[in-house]
Amino acid sequence: MKALVVDDSRAMRKIIAGALRKLGYETVEAADGAEALKVLQEGPLPELATVDWNMPVMDGLTFVTQVRAIREYRSLSIMMVTTEAEHGQIVRALAAGAHEYLIKPFTVEALEEKLALLGLLPEVTA
Amino acid sequence: MTQDTGLEVQEVVDYVEDEALAQIVDQMWQSYFGHVEPLLPALEPHEVPAPVLCASVGISGARPGLVTVLVEKGAAASLAAALLQEDGELTDEDVYDALGEIANIIGGNIKALVPDAGALGLPAIAEAPPLPRSNSRCAARMDANWQGHWVTFIVWLSGTGA
Repeated sequence: MKALVVDDSRAMRKIIAGALRKLGYETVEAADGAEALKVLQEGPLPELATVDWNMPVMDGLTFVTQVRAIREYRSLSIMMVTTEAEHGQIVRALAAGAHEYLIKPFTVEALEEKLALLGLLPEVTA
Repeated sequence: MTQDTGLEVQEVVDYVEDEALAQIVDQMWQSYFGHVEPLLPALEPHEVPAPVLCASVGISGARPGLVTVLVEKGAAASLAAALLQEDGELTDEDVYDALGEIANIIGGNIKALVPDAGALGLPAIAEAPPLPRSNSRCAARMDANWQGHWVTFIVWLSGTGA
């Protein structure tokens, strides 16, 4: 399985990508929503995108909204991974088309639980 | 328009206390720094000796705030390397990014405690202590020591917006 990690922080991209690779994912990275859209356009379409909320150029919510407007990307599962912890923000993200929501800081176990809920845990984990 | 009074500032300051900040910092440390030495809370406030690096994120909304992480400049690279789990030499950009992300994580979780909070700003890095708004107060503070270096986390909150 392949995951796109979208976060403006290189440190956080490394943490998330590292956790996903431990769970058996191949990963690609993007530093903001606009860069992530380019990655999707270039293909192939990953099974999962983890998306930060607050990013320069294009924020995560805008990215989710734009992805959900494109029919070819319907199979992409989106998990917000963000410090935005208010209930209202979670509702907004899910309403925009995100499938899951993980609040930073998170543990690898919490990420694994969310992936299991999405049915996106690779069968063989490293 | 709401007048900015000391009472209003006190009311909003009460939403975020030292204990809440300490819990957020502890949770972040366990999640991302569990492989290195623990962060040791200080019994009394400690000034971080200069030169310093300060990462901060702003909180907009009815009661604006600023969340800051102040660390000795000499220890900042070690802290960033611990977060990145990298042994090699880091660029200044990597260090700023890592410190900014620490401030971002704490700021987002603090924002959830503040009523009528607006947006969380992007992290900013400065080689100087924070300059909070003139009408803001220190709502919560945590002084800690890591590997012999002082690290201070401060939450500033204002009574009303501009």
